[in-house]
Amino acid sequence: MDALIMAVDEVGAGLTGDISGSLALIGYGLAAIGPGVGIGIVAGNAVQAMARQPEAAGMVRTTMFLGIAFTEALALIGFVLYFIAAG
Amino acid sequence: MELIFAASACDPEEQIICTPETVNELFELPFIGGINRTMILNIVAALLVVWFFWAAFRKRSLIPGKLQAFGEMALGFVRDEIAVGIIGPKHGLKYFPYLASLFFFILVGNLMEVFPLTLFPITSRIGLPIFLALITWVLFVVAGIRAQGFGGYFGHLLWPPGVPVALKPLVGLIEFVSVLLVRPFSLAVRLFANLAAGHVMLALMLLSSWVFLASLPTGNLNGMWGFLWAGLALFIYVFEILVAILQAYIFTLLSAVYIQTSVEVEAH
Repeated sequence: MDALIMAVDEVGAGLTGDISGSLALIGYGLAAIGPGVGIGIVAGNAVQAMARQPEAAGMVRTTMFLGIAFTEALALIGFVLYFIAAG
Repeated sequence: MELIFAASACDPEEQIICTPETVNELFELPFIGGINRTMILNIVAALLVVWFFWAAFRKRSLIPGKLQAFGEMALGFVRDEIAVGIIGPKHGLKYFPYLASLFFFILVGNLMEVFPLTLFPITSRIGLPIFLALITWVLFVVAGIRAQGFGGYFGHLLWPPGVPVALKPLVGLIEFVSVLLVRPFSLAVRLFANLAAGHVMLALMLLSSWVFLASLPTGNLNGMWGFLWAGLALFIYVFEILVAILQAYIFTLLSAVYIQTSVEVEAH
């Protein structure tokens, strides 16, 4: 249990310590920017389309999922490359 | 027990942040390295799907019972929304059995992420998604060759009609790479990375809340942060149920879309 207390305190102390870690993490952060914006655009336009034409909501939803899936792939490849680069 | 409880593999007394020694485990392939937890859960998932549909449709009646009604609803969703809805009524029913088995196997495999006794998605090891993506790949290439002929299918890919002649080599190359290489790769990586990320996130939140809360009885007030972690973990938990269902749906949907682009000759 002493080890537990030390570790919990260490987490608090770590917040003010030096920055260290893998550069691959920054790469993943950069890779997530584009798809983040892209998914926002896809979902936002899908909501707009559904609001304008509620009877087409089913078709719009399917297409939205497709668009999100294609956009998201880039971020996920970045996520996998982080593991490959860091491991 | 070590098979089931992932947290038991790390020793919280010495090693607080429970990092794995390598990340190679994420990229393990089935059947290489013997029978392990992933393999056992793969077989369990397959048996669960078979058992569910056997139980649901063992005694078929005109007025369905609860189980049969649920099974019919689930199969009907895949048939109407994915198979017939995307591929079209002409070819859709032919691919419906494959799409249905794909959907329910991935769904059960994904839901193992949030099922309390396993807490481990089998699709978060690259071996399974890449194998499923390869089946889809073979299926849509064969479907394209059968619908348009060998020369027709690859001719359409490499020398796309409706494009200015000067651009044809470039567009053909891009099309070739994106259809034959990027499609199966992104299909596999999408499923794998979504589930691996969710698994890591859940493990981090749950372990953090446990570590912090376990230090509370010793009078350490920093342990109060554990309640925050537990709340976040609950939120992520619900979110992961959504992700598990959505990713099974998206994998099946994209498989159907790829098959549809192969069998629809008129689309060009």
